[in-house]
Amino acid sequence: MEAKSKILLIDDEEVVLDSCTQILAGGPYQVATASDGTAGLRLVQEFQPDLVFVDLKMPGISGFDVMEKVHTMDPTIVMVVITGFATISSAVDAMKRGAYDFLPKPFTPEEFRLITCRSLEKRKLVLETIALRQEKEMLREHFAHIVSHELKAPLSAVQQSLFALEFELSKTLSESQKEKLERAKIRIDDLIKLINSWLRVISVDINKLKEGFTQISVKDEISKALDNLELYAVRKDIEIVTSIGDVLHPVIGDGLSLSEAFVNIIGNAIKYSHDGSRIVVNAKENGTDVVISIQDNGVGISEEDLPHIFDGFYRGKSGQAMATGHGIGLAVSRQIIEAHNGSIVVESELGKGTTFTVRLPKWSNQP
Amino acid sequence: MAKRLLIIDDDPDFVSGIKAILDTAGFEVDVAYDPKEGLQALQRQPYDLLLLDIMMGRGAEGVMIARKLRKDAKLREMPVLIITGMREQIAFLFPGEPIHPHFVEVDELVEKPVEPNLLLEKVNSLIQAAEERKAGVS
Ligand SMILES: Nc1ncnc2c1ncn2[C@@H]1O[C@H](COP(=O)(O)OP(=O)(O)OP(=O)(O)O)[C@@H](O)[C@H]1O
Ligand SMILES: [Mg+2]
Repeated sequence: MEAKSKILLIDDEEVVLDSCTQILAGGPYQVATASDGTAGLRLVQEFQPDLVFVDLKMPGISGFDVMEKVHTMDPTIVMVVITGFATISSAVDAMKRGAYDFLPKPFTPEEFRLITCRSLEKRKLVLETIALRQEKEMLREHFAHIVSHELKAPLSAVQQSLFALEFELSKTLSESQKEKLERAKIRIDDLIKLINSWLRVISVDINKLKEGFTQISVKDEISKALDNLELYAVRKDIEIVTSIGDVLHPVIGDGLSLSEAFVNIIGNAIKYSHDGSRIVVNAKENGTDVVISIQDNGVGISEEDLPHIFDGFYRGKSGQAMATGHGIGLAVSRQIIEAHNGSIVVESELGKGTTFTVRLPKWSNQP
Repeated sequence: MAKRLLIIDDDPDFVSGIKAILDTAGFEVDVAYDPKEGLQALQRQPYDLLLLDIMMGRGAEGVMIARKLRKDAKLREMPVLIITGMREQIAFLFPGEPIHPHFVEVDELVEKPVEPNLLLEKVNSLIQAAEERKAGVS
């Protein structure tokens, strides 16, 4: 059996409360009434209604205020405004503030029944949407869990055993046996890397970052990223020239994720540059922004690919020819930068090189 | 004398992989497949190093062990090599970077799977550092 829908009526006119209660009597409803806003709000908490009818004109707290408070208590409660003809314009106002519908006085029992049914339908929809969203969120977490436990853990165990085999047998294996082992290791390594990049995308809630924002020095985060990439650059004999203003204004954000974005972007510049070339990293203030540019003389990106490189799992033709990757780094970086209210743009010419420009708003006292 | 190591990890296949490497390198290796067993082994005899899976089971039961070790006056000195299957869940950590949450006084973190050379390098340097600390104190 379905639970009865709970309806709360708030109106200072006794007759309205009585007649409405009568109209609903016998239906699948549970009805509560209050003759002023204060009592009504108390009932919202105790009774936890699905639907609230509020009279706009009441002594004491106004219908508007009641609506506002109800909305902050539980935004899923559906509200309908009851109003006299003279106050239609304020009913429109009420709708703007979150009322679902309005009911002009006087109304017939049929009108009241109809609006009740429609409003409860609406309530059902609201709750279903929330449930769906939660389910999706759970699925996402669940999926991250499955990927990491059921896929990654066994692969890691297999790889560890291959490592052990190779280590124990290093003196006894023939060249061709070693090669087979090597191939198996490489394939598994690719899989593990792929799983890691999936995990990166699904298990990080970028919006949660915002909760921990503090004052961040762009210079420090770029330096961290450069430290991280130093070995990689040395291996490709690539020189990274930096020109970063010493008195650069701080930005508001999350240090770890910002330096991760820089690792991705500068890492790309190294990855898609020819051995022995040079990369320029520049950071300066511009109006209310701090502007960081990363310029390389690498393979460049074709016009067809350029609009898509920030999409997840997308890789450019020239990039694919140059190095392996999963097409995730830039998608994640853009999400991080946008969570900082910043922007990232790219300019590139095939065969010549690429410049990424990141803008981050300066930190200020005002929110 | 051979150094004694304890591995606490609930994945037997993974354990056999690292144990083989450590055996071959000449370590005495004991294994515990769950946190309780592991804590008992630690009470029974001293180890030169603990290899600890931080994400055992569904939760992070390894973290609980690490917390207990930190509170224990005797075990606090033992170096710990933390092994994790899930970098992402711990923090935004970069590959190979030394930043990680320090669960215990002396620890290092490696990710599964771990290459033999990296494993042995970490194990040896942690043990050596612990011995130097001891020599310095007494
Ligand atoms: N500096 C660059 N020069 C040339 N092409 C680039 C550059 N940066 C990015 N690209 C192109 O954009 C694509 C997407 O980059 P992204 O960093 O998202 O993925 P990836 O480097 O392929 O893989 P990964 O996820 O491992 O970083 C690349 O595949 C490459 O084609
Ligand atoms: Mg990349």
